[in-house]
Amino acid sequence: MKSVLHRGPVAKLGDLSETRYWVYLLLFPSLILLLLVVAYPTLYGFVISVREMRLTRPALNGWVGARHYIAMMSDRVFWISLKNTAIWVTAAIAIEVTLGFIAAVALNRNVPGTKLFGVLILLPYFLPNVVAGHMWALLLDPRLGVINDLLVRIGVLSTYKAWFADPATALAATILVEAWHGFPFFALLFLAGLKGIPEDLYKAAAVDGAGPVRQFRLITVPMLRTVITAAVILRVISLVNSPDLLLVLTGGGPGNATQVLSLYAFQTAYREFNFGYAGALSVVMFVILMVFASLYIRFTQVTKE
Amino acid sequence: MQITKREFLVATAALALASGVRSASAATAISYWHHFASQSEVAGLMKIIELFGKSHPDITVTQESIPNSEYMAKVSSAVVAGGRPDTGMVIAERFADLTAMGALTDISERVNGWKEKANLPENRWTGMSQDGAIYAVPAYAFVDWMYYRKDYFEEAGLSGPPKTFEEFVTACQKLTDPAKGRYAFGMRGGAGAFKYVIDVMEAFGSPIVKDGQAAIDKSAAVEAITFYSSLFLKDKVVPPSAPNDSYRQIMEGFRTGQTAMVWHHTGSLIEISAALKPGVQFATAPMPAGPKAHIARVAYAGNGIMKDDNIDAAWDWISFWGEKDAAIALLEATGYFPASTAALDDERIKSNPIYQAASQTLDFGRLPNSFVGAAGWSENVVNPSFQSVLTGQLTSEQAVDRMIEGLETALR
Repeated sequence: MKSVLHRGPVAKLGDLSETRYWVYLLLFPSLILLLLVVAYPTLYGFVISVREMRLTRPALNGWVGARHYIAMMSDRVFWISLKNTAIWVTAAIAIEVTLGFIAAVALNRNVPGTKLFGVLILLPYFLPNVVAGHMWALLLDPRLGVINDLLVRIGVLSTYKAWFADPATALAATILVEAWHGFPFFALLFLAGLKGIPEDLYKAAAVDGAGPVRQFRLITVPMLRTVITAAVILRVISLVNSPDLLLVLTGGGPGNATQVLSLYAFQTAYREFNFGYAGALSVVMFVILMVFASLYIRFTQVTKE
Repeated sequence: MQITKREFLVATAALALASGVRSASAATAISYWHHFASQSEVAGLMKIIELFGKSHPDITVTQESIPNSEYMAKVSSAVVAGGRPDTGMVIAERFADLTAMGALTDISERVNGWKEKANLPENRWTGMSQDGAIYAVPAYAFVDWMYYRKDYFEEAGLSGPPKTFEEFVTACQKLTDPAKGRYAFGMRGGAGAFKYVIDVMEAFGSPIVKDGQAAIDKSAAVEAITFYSSLFLKDKVVPPSAPNDSYRQIMEGFRTGQTAMVWHHTGSLIEISAALKPGVQFATAPMPAGPKAHIARVAYAGNGIMKDDNIDAAWDWISFWGEKDAAIALLEATGYFPASTAALDDERIKSNPIYQAASQTLDFGRLPNSFVGAAGWSENVVNPSFQSVLTGQLTSEQAVDRMIEGLETALR
């Protein structure tokens, strides 16, 4: 009886591990971290979006309610940024998914050299955005750019083109750079997904007379649905939130031709020091992403499996 | 060898004590944030740190380089979230924003009792003071001037650099030859374009801010924007990439021979001299005068105290920058013009013909516009508005309307 009453802390921990409360104990450290580095900044972002917070005019600071959100409705740069964000994300995702799928299918074939190509294809993703941005700024440079030189040599262009200086081509050029940088992310995830599809399914389908297109449509795509959904959501979040590539390539210009919401929020916060309005822009981005993610998950029915 | 638990504890305690004694006698360490990034700038900074270390062996300086475009983002984050450095670099354009957010410490009392103050005339302190209080010690100056290809000018039969905007346009037309891929002027239309847009507006007679109020003269400003954008739109004497060209592109254009003239400041002299032969391939000249005013900026830059924890050591460091030895070390490494008159009298400046244009500019040059909100308005309103004129999305009048509207909002 005495030994039961005076059990040590290790033994007590052992007892706790047998109960349903053990899971809460295991989640506790992660929960604390999440609260500190995710929940608190997010909530603080909501709070400053309804306050005036201009570092260079502290006398104006205080509660303003929905003033920033109302001002946003008549802010032409906000609407341009919203439109550009939609184009930027949709086009980049479409190109990246397509290229990623092609690369993954190619790498999934066990032919000699695929391991080496696998590493080469992943290289762009290893480059930091800023490095990739400077590299492409030089490749597309209107004076020294290799790509301009190649296009002139093969007769596509008559003279070197200033891709980022023309509003008609600036956004498209930045999307192509982003797609080059981001498609290995999809290739990697799709390849992992493809490796998990049993070969027998394809063999059985072939016996039943299904050609490559039907096999792709009826086996590959459904089996990869969860991976595609997760990858698209992660990439959309990353694209909406990351202004660094555009900051390096165009700074949102010329005019506001490549201005997107994340870059606009960054410039508002760190050039105008208007953290209140920048906070409101960030809240709008947060809401857009939440709505997108829930609709997308519902549409793809990925949680019903 | 085996150590007993007791021996281990004693040894640990002895080590802890020894490290405590060491740190107690160690030099005062101060941190310094700056936006020097090029090889020459970093070499100049290291030389200054070395000289400072010799004269102040009891103080160590830990420097941190922050890209110029991100400097204010980092400082403002430090002001909001904590983590300020002891000292930091201050340029005239950012002074108003820095003081408004409370990033700098008032050092008037220390400056007034400083013997080197006599070498820094009143105009050096104007951009570093507010309401009679001094917040930074001037160290060097960016003096605006024009670099021009001497060989191209001779080839085109031009006797010398243009002195007025009228002569500038004439020279541009003579120097441009698209067949050779040669353009007369490396216009900055990308990041940093606002600087010259504002200069041209003032050269056509439009002020920007007066007594804290927006003061743009619309007709003069429209005339200025029309003149400046015509170089790209009508005369086609600037490279087609101008709407996105920032510092790197205009310098590359000049160094590689694509352009014959470029407007910048004394800070790029070393970089250009490394690619082109001074006095033979290129020379320098004061900025051309506009129809109403001769505008060139003389922007003094210096250093301020951002945290009071080690204020004596911090003062020693920032005031050292204002002395002759530091100024000459920086000049030799970077070409940055000294703020100290003692350093300006040095033979290395007086006898070098390439510096004559900068010395002339010191006589008429103006300080940059400095008001709270200047950085945001310049970069977020002036830049995109002017770019939109270059790309045909806005007329000069519409662009000026946006600039006026943006300026009124920034000052509100």
